[in-house]
Amino acid sequence: MTDCGCEKAKAELEEYLHNELCREDAADVREHLASCEDCRSEHLVGRTLTEVMQRACKESAPEDLRDMVLLRLRAIQSAH
Amino acid sequence: MQLLLERPSTLQANGLGLPVMTSDTPLPSTVQETTEPADKRDLFEEQALPFIDQLYAAAMRMTRNPSDAQDLVQETFVKAFAAFKQFEQGTNLKAWLYRILTNTFINTYRKKQREPYQGTIDELEDWQLGGAVSTTAMASRSAEAEAIDHLPDSAVKDALQAIPEDFRLAVYFADVEGFSYQEIAEIMKTPIGTVMSRLHRGRRLLRDLLSGYAAERGLGTGQAASQKKSGSTKK
Repeated sequence: MTDCGCEKAKAELEEYLHNELCREDAADVREHLASCEDCRSEHLVGRTLTEVMQRACKESAPEDLRDMVLLRLRAIQSAH
Repeated sequence: MQLLLERPSTLQANGLGLPVMTSDTPLPSTVQETTEPADKRDLFEEQALPFIDQLYAAAMRMTRNPSDAQDLVQETFVKAFAAFKQFEQGTNLKAWLYRILTNTFINTYRKKQREPYQGTIDELEDWQLGGAVSTTAMASRSAEAEAIDHLPDSAVKDALQAIPEDFRLAVYFADVEGFSYQEIAEIMKTPIGTVMSRLHRGRRLLRDLLSGYAAERGLGTGQAASQKKSGSTKK
C-alpha cells in the first residue's frame, strides 16, 4: 500500500474521527497517521475535542423528573 | 372510572352487538387487538424512559437552564408517547426520541431565545461568525491538545454555548451522542452535506475558543520559543 498523503488524510480526518469512512479509506488514513507526526497531532487535537465534550456534557436527570414524566403519561392515559 | 369501548362501531354492525359472520369473515378484530393501553404504556416506559438522562443532558445544552430542560424533556416524552403507535419497533428509538426533542425545542423554546443570525447561519462566512482566536498562540498541536484536555468542564460548556445553535447541535449529536451523519441529517432535517459543514465549522470554532481559553490561562503556550523560527517579537 502506498501512503495516501497529508492532503487526503487531513481532508478525511473528521470523518475518520466520527467513523464515517468506509473500511478502505479508514485504513488509508490510519496508515498515514502511523507515519506522519503532523497529521497524528492534528488527529490528537480532534480526538481531544470529542473527549472533553463527552466529559463536560455528562448530566443526570433530576430525581423527580422521571416521576413527573410517569405522572404525565398516566394522566394522559386515564383521560382517554 | 368509566371505561369506554375502543370500537363501539362493531357493536352496531347488525343491531345485536355481534358482527355478521360469514364463512370467510375473519375473527372479530377486537380479539386480535391485543395491545391494551396499559401494555402500550408499559412498553413505552420500558423502552423510552432509559433515555431520560441522555435526553436531559441534550436538553440542557439546548435550553441552557435546568428548568427549561426539564419542561422540554417532559414535553418530549408526552409527544413521543402520543406518537408511539407510529414508531416502528426494531428501528432506532434513540434517534426517534432525539428527533422529537429537537423538533419540540425548535418549535417552542427556540422562539424565546432566537439568535440574531438564526436561519442563515449556514450561509455566513467564517469571519462573520467572529470570536476565533488564532491557534498559533499554541506552542505545538500536541501542546494544544494537552491544554484543551486540562480545561475545566465549565469552559467546555461555555464554548459550546458560544457557537451558533445549529453548529452546536450537530457537534453535540456527533461527538457526545455518537449519532451517524445520516442520523443527524434526519434529526435536524437537513441534507447530509449541511450536517458535515455544520460539524466542521462548529468544531473549528470550538477548537479556537478552547485554545483561546487555554492560552488565557497560560496553558499550552509555555516554552514556545524553541518551536518558533522567529523569537524576536517575544520580548
